[in-house]
Amino acid sequence: MVDAARTLLPELRERIRRIERPAATAHGVLPFGVAAIDLTLPGGGLARGALHEILGAGGDEEDGALAAAFVAGIIGRLTIQPTSPSQSLTRLGPSLSPLKGGEGLKISFPLPPRAGGRRPTGDGVVLWCLPRLDLYGPGLAAHGLDPGQVVLVRAPRDAEILWAMEEGLRAPAIVAVVGEVGSLPAVASRRLQLAAERSGITAFLLRRWRDGGQAARERALPNAAVTRWRIAALPSQPPRGEPGGGSPRWRVELLRCRGGEPACWEMEVPDATDHVSLAAALADRPAAPRSAQKFRRAG
Amino acid sequence: MPLADALSFLPGLATAAAEPAEDAAALRRLAEWCGRYSPWTAPDGVDGVRIEITGSAHLWGGERALAADLKTRLDRRGVIGRVAVADTIGAAWATARFAEAGDSAVIVPPGEVRAALASLPVEALRLDPTTAQGLRRVGLKQVGELYAMPRDALARRFGETVAQRLDQALDDLPEPLSPLGEVPTRRVRLSFAEPFTEPADLMLAAERLIADLVQRLAQEGTGARRLDLAFHRVDGRVERIRLGTARPSRDPRHLASLFKERLDTVDPGLGIEDMILAALAVEPLPPQQIGLPGHAAGNETRGIAQLLDRLGNRLGLDALSRLEARASHIPERASVRVPVALPSPASLRSAPSPASLRSAPSPALRERGDPAQRAGWVRGYLKPPRPIRLFDPPEPLEAFWLLPDDPPFRFTWRRRRHRVTRADGPERIAEEWWRPEGSGAVDAIRDYYRVEDEEGRRFWLFRAGLHGGEHAPRWFVHGVFS
Repeated sequence: MVDAARTLLPELRERIRRIERPAATAHGVLPFGVAAIDLTLPGGGLARGALHEILGAGGDEEDGALAAAFVAGIIGRLTIQPTSPSQSLTRLGPSLSPLKGGEGLKISFPLPPRAGGRRPTGDGVVLWCLPRLDLYGPGLAAHGLDPGQVVLVRAPRDAEILWAMEEGLRAPAIVAVVGEVGSLPAVASRRLQLAAERSGITAFLLRRWRDGGQAARERALPNAAVTRWRIAALPSQPPRGEPGGGSPRWRVELLRCRGGEPACWEMEVPDATDHVSLAAALADRPAAPRSAQKFRRAG
Repeated sequence: MPLADALSFLPGLATAAAEPAEDAAALRRLAEWCGRYSPWTAPDGVDGVRIEITGSAHLWGGERALAADLKTRLDRRGVIGRVAVADTIGAAWATARFAEAGDSAVIVPPGEVRAALASLPVEALRLDPTTAQGLRRVGLKQVGELYAMPRDALARRFGETVAQRLDQALDDLPEPLSPLGEVPTRRVRLSFAEPFTEPADLMLAAERLIADLVQRLAQEGTGARRLDLAFHRVDGRVERIRLGTARPSRDPRHLASLFKERLDTVDPGLGIEDMILAALAVEPLPPQQIGLPGHAAGNETRGIAQLLDRLGNRLGLDALSRLEARASHIPERASVRVPVALPSPASLRSAPSPASLRSAPSPALRERGDPAQRAGWVRGYLKPPRPIRLFDPPEPLEAFWLLPDDPPFRFTWRRRRHRVTRADGPERIAEEWWRPEGSGAVDAIRDYYRVEDEEGRRFWLFRAGLHGGEHAPRWFVHGVFS
């Protein structure tokens, strides 16, 4: 009796869980290629065919520059064929090299093989819906997203942006849909998540807030996105004795993740053309709690 | 006659202020309503409407039947009017106003214009009163009396207009009719015995019209680029939906979905009695292999085009754009937005073959593989780094700096204060001297700095102008780095 309960209960729980929410990784995952991050995410990478929410931090909540760069880097690699969760880590294993100064590990994610010495071009269309046309092509290219792939959709109101995103999630030959919105009703996020699940197109919501009041209000609201990230700028650490700024450094926080634990990493993002996006984790703290105050301010 | 005189003759005369603008608008609406007879309609002066019915009269059972139908409908709407049909605009104008025909329409049979006009007064030639009076003074009272006159003598005595008007009326001189709107190349029409207002019925009717039009387009091997669906209301107003497509299309479901989205903008009033669907612009669209369901390869390109159409027709086609690299050092010119619907230069150079049309997904994608474009982006993102967000126009800020070539140590932007901890620069970018706005302007030289504040946010600032000039240099933030 006790034995039956012991084996049966977890099995039933698993079945109920599966009925309640289909696996978020049904369409495969996109590994970051950084083991510390991929091990935290269920399935070993960012779920394709799902809605992901990306927040800025501090003053960047208004501009969304870091969030856009983060998303551009991800979409730039989305053209790689989906891999099953088990294969992902072995196929795109990161190369590790110790960082000067001995603080943590430098993990770089190499590009897919180059064709003819030129960066490979992506396939398909990226629909980027935004209220203000401030996205800059060379900046996107620097983060590995071919600007020629991007179709910009300008709509002044959040409702129209959400509508355009949903339309995009139903169309074929779309690689990814990005929307920059301020307010996000829970129903709208649910609709986007369902549309993304159905079509297998990955959707990204960049949150941009005009003022602190709106930010405080919206930050607390729940929504249906599978993951919620916050990208914050950190002071750069140029080599000792050199003037000017070093490579940009980010604090990437995974605030919420369906089927996973929240986590936080600090990364260095080189501007060089050799690397696509998240390149180095200076110090990874996978079990970090949500509160950001515990972190040492570097630099 | 002045109003005061008239009132003295007839006290209690009802008067109303003249409203020429209102009258013109009403006449224009009437001309638009006449679009049910032919696409070529235009208001004529202040009291007439011209309709070119060549080629469309047979649809109504001949000219006489068409004129009778028009007269009946005008009467029903309470419009007092006279209808005349003739070979030329001048002859129709003259017979409508001066022919003795009572209430019925005047039909001048083809080739009998001379005879029909001969007995009409000279005013029937659309002359101004002074010229007409001059003709009368020399005894020329009827149009027929002018036939024998030498044209140059007429012109010498009474000016060019008399001869010109006479020639136009007699079809010796062509007179073009400029239509009110665009003249569609393909048009289908549906009339209803019983007017209706239900949106669902409107949609059904629209689908039937689309099916008719698509059939014609398929026979010609063309696809519609711009469409116009006109709803003729019982009260004579005309409601319209106009839309465009990113690529030529003759997919009935796609076109129907485009109209459906806009159908709520149509006010059916008391009812719709006529619907006319017109293709204003068509482009060649060879027959295409439709992909098997499930094998989406063939359907993908159409999917993108249809998505762009849906977005464009709701948000406006100018809301859609894509980025293109340009060879320029000026940051805002290095990346320009171009409309998605624009055909790419590559497709203009070579005439599109069926194969290229099939394989080319959309202009946006066609361009992408272009090596020149790729090289442009590569040039753009190679060092020095460029921001991911660029503000156009640059936003002014308040900066504090020490030495002339130093970056600011503190600046205030959007009412927020930033302390600069690190800075790179300057990178000097000068206006392109070969452009008119670039030569000799005070702000022609910009010194860009990449600065980092204590939070770690990185901005792209520039100083416009030089120290020691007549204007103090100004600072702007042009972009934000990731």
